Amino acid sequence: MEESTIALENKNKPVKNSVRAHDRRIAILFILPAVILFLVMAIYPFIYMIYTSFTNLNLSMSGTGQFIGLSNYFEIFHDPLALGSIWFSAMVLLIAVPIEMVIGIMFGLLIRGIKGERVFRLLFLISMMIPGIVFGISAQMIFNYLFGSANYFLSLFGISEIAWFGHAATAQFVILFLDVIQWTPFIFLITYAGLLSVPQDLIDAAKVDGASRWQLFANVEFPTLKSFIYIALIIRLIDALKIFGKIYMTTWGGPGMATSSWSFYIYKVGVSYGWDIGYASALALILLIASAVLVNLLIKVLNLGETLELRKEG
Amino acid sequence: MKKYTILMMVGILVGLFAVTAMASVTLSLITSPDTGPSLQWLAQQFEKQNPDIKINVSIVSWETLYPRLLADLRARSGVYDIFTWDVMTAGSIHSGALDLTKFFKEHSNLVPKNYDWKDLLPLAERLGEWNGDLIGLPYYNNTMLFYYRKDLFNNPKYQKEFYNKFGRPLRVPTTWAEAVDVARFFTKKYNPNSPTRFGIALMFPTTHTMFYMFPLFFGPYRRSPDGVREFGPVNITYGDYFTSNGKPAFANKYGLMALEDMKALMPYAPDPLGSDYGQTIEYFSQGMTAMCPQWTNPYMQFKSSPALQPASEKIGIAPMPGRSVAGNWALGISKYIPLKKQIAAAKFLLFATSKWATLHVLEKFGIAPIRESVLDNPEAQKAIPWVKALPAIYQTETFRPRIPQEPQLESITDVYFSEMLSGKIPMTIESLKKLAQKWEKVLSSK
Repeated sequence: MEESTIALENKNKPVKNSVRAHDRRIAILFILPAVILFLVMAIYPFIYMIYTSFTNLNLSMSGTGQFIGLSNYFEIFHDPLALGSIWFSAMVLLIAVPIEMVIGIMFGLLIRGIKGERVFRLLFLISMMIPGIVFGISAQMIFNYLFGSANYFLSLFGISEIAWFGHAATAQFVILFLDVIQWTPFIFLITYAGLLSVPQDLIDAAKVDGASRWQLFANVEFPTLKSFIYIALIIRLIDALKIFGKIYMTTWGGPGMATSSWSFYIYKVGVSYGWDIGYASALALILLIASAVLVNLLIKVLNLGETLELRKEG
Repeated sequence: MKKYTILMMVGILVGLFAVTAMASVTLSLITSPDTGPSLQWLAQQFEKQNPDIKINVSIVSWETLYPRLLADLRARSGVYDIFTWDVMTAGSIHSGALDLTKFFKEHSNLVPKNYDWKDLLPLAERLGEWNGDLIGLPYYNNTMLFYYRKDLFNNPKYQKEFYNKFGRPLRVPTTWAEAVDVARFFTKKYNPNSPTRFGIALMFPTTHTMFYMFPLFFGPYRRSPDGVREFGPVNITYGDYFTSNGKPAFANKYGLMALEDMKALMPYAPDPLGSDYGQTIEYFSQGMTAMCPQWTNPYMQFKSSPALQPASEKIGIAPMPGRSVAGNWALGISKYIPLKKQIAAAKFLLFATSKWATLHVLEKFGIAPIRESVLDNPEAQKAIPWVKALPAIYQTETFRPRIPQEPQLESITDVYFSEMLSGKIPMTIESLKKLAQKWEKVLSSK
C-alpha cells in the first residue's frame, strides 16, 4: 500500500512541478506590466535625475547637458536662495510639526468618550478631506488684503488690515497656520486610532487605583500610543520637507524668499521659470538624502525599530 | 467564400481608414490662458474652411507652458505642432522653432494673395525674430496701459480739492512723481474725502510680474538722454535691463531711483508686495483704487464690472506715466514635425494673423492688434478704446531681455527686488551691484 502511494507521489511530482512553473509564468506575466511601468515611470526618471544632476542641462539654452561633475552640488552651498529655502523648510519642521503633534494628540485625548464624539471626529477631519488646491484658493481669499474674511474678522476688534502676503513674518505665519490646519487632523486620526486600541479594562483598573489624568496618560495610554505617535511624526516629517501646494497657491515663496520651501525652490529653478534641470536635479537629490537621513535619525533616536518590534530576531 | 468576403471587407475598411488618415491632419496647439480662448475660436473658424485639418488647442498655465514646450522642443518629439510664445523667450525656443521666412519662401503657394505682409507692425514682427530668422508670426501685440477712473479725474469737486492741496490741476499723471501725489490724494488714509480706498493698484510680488513692472519705472531713466549717453541705445535682444554691449545697466543711481519710485507709491496701494495680476484687476474692477497699470486684455474684465458702469464714463486709458513694457506673443511651428503638418500649421498661422482674424480677435477677446490697418480701423477704435492710444505707446515701450538666460536672470531678480522693496535687504546701489554680479555669473557660466 505504502509503496504504491510513494510511486503515485513520484509519478505526480513532474506534473506538480510543471503546474507550479506554469503558475509562476502566469504570475510573472501578471506582474510584468506593473514592473515595466514602475521601471519606466519611477526608476528610469530617478536614474536620469541622478545623471542630470552632474550636468549643466538647461532647457532654455541649446548646447547644454555637458558633464560638469559636482559643480551643481557645490553651487547649492553658495546659493543664498537655496539656503533661504532650507531655512523656511526648517521652520515648518520645527514650528508647524510640533504644534500639529501636540494639538492632534490633545484633541484625540479630549474627545475620546465624550458626548458627541462622532460629530467632533467628523468635524475635525473636514479640513483633511479638502483637496490641496481648494485649500490654497480658499486661503488666498481668506487672507486677501481688501476682501478677505481674516481682515474683516480682525476689523471687528478694531484691528486694521494686515497685508498677510506682503510681509515676511505674516506670510510665514499664514503658511505655517495653513499647514497646522491641514495636517493636525492627520495626527489626530492616527493617535485617535491608537487611543481606541488601549484596552478599556486597563484604563478602568488605573482609575480604580486612583490614577490622575496625567498618570493615566503617561503610564497607560502613552505606552500603547507611542508607536502611533512615532509613525505619525515620521510621516509628517517626510511630508513637511515636501511642502509645496500651499506656497504655490498663496505666496509663491514671497515676499522675497520668506516662504520658499526647498521643494518650492526646486520647482522654481527647474520647472516654473528657471528651466535649469541640472541644478534642480542636484537640489532634489539633496532633499531626498536629507529626508532619508532625518527619517533614519529619528528612527534611531526614538528607537522605533524596537517600539514597532521591527528588529530581526537574533 | 464567406472567409474571403470578410477578408475583403476588412481590407476595404483598413483602406478607407488609411485614406482618411492620410487625407486629414490633426494639429496640436499649446497656448497660455491669455491667448487661449481667442485661438480656440480661430481654430473653429479655420476648421470650417479647412475640413481636412483639425486643431486641438491645449490651454495651460503660464508656468506650465514653457517647461512642456521646451521639453518637447529639446527632445525633438514634436508633441506640439503650433505654440504661442512670449517674445522674451525667443532665445530659449529658437532652436526648436521653424524659420518661417525660409519656409514661406519654399512654400510660397501657401500664402494667400491678400495676405498683406507690409501691414504687419514692424516692431511686432521684429520681436518674432531671432538671429535674423523669423521664428514666430506676431499674434498678440500686448503692452501695458495706465487705467484710471475717468469719472473721478473729471469730477470738478475732486479737481478743486486736489488744486487746493497740491496747487496744480488734477490730471492723469505723466510721470511717477506726479502719480505719487495723485495716488496719495485718492487714498482714504491720507485723504478722508477720497472716493476710493486706495490711489493705485500695484503688483510687486516675487513672481515674473516684478520683472516686467521694474522697466515701467526704470525705462524713463534708461531712455533719458543721460541714460542713453551712459549705456548706449537699447538693443532689442538684451532689452532695457542691459547696456548696448550686453552688461547690466541697472546697478547704479538710475536703477536705485526706479526702485525708490516704486517704493514711493507703495503706501497708496493695497498690499503691493502680496498682490499679483488677478488681485490688482479685482481691486480696480471693484472700484477700490483710482488707478491701475495693467495689460491690454484686463479691459474686457473692467468693462463688464458692475462697479465701473457705465464703462465709457468710468474707465480712462492713458499711456504709462513712466514707460510701458512690451508683452508681445507670437505663434511658432515646431521644427520637429513632418512637412505635411508644418504645411497645415503654416496655413493656420497665416489665417490667425490675417486682417480678418486680427480684427475679430480684437473685438471679441481684446487681443491687441498686430496690423496697422486694424489700429487705424474706426470699427476697432470704437470697439476697444485703447486701440487709439496704442500707436503712441508702442513708440515708447521698453523691452525685457530675449536672451536664453532670461529665465534665470528673472528668477534671481524677482527675489532681490522684492527683498529690497520689503526692506529685508537695503535699497542701495551696493545691493544692486550684488545683483548685477549674479547676473554676470549667469551670463558667463553657460
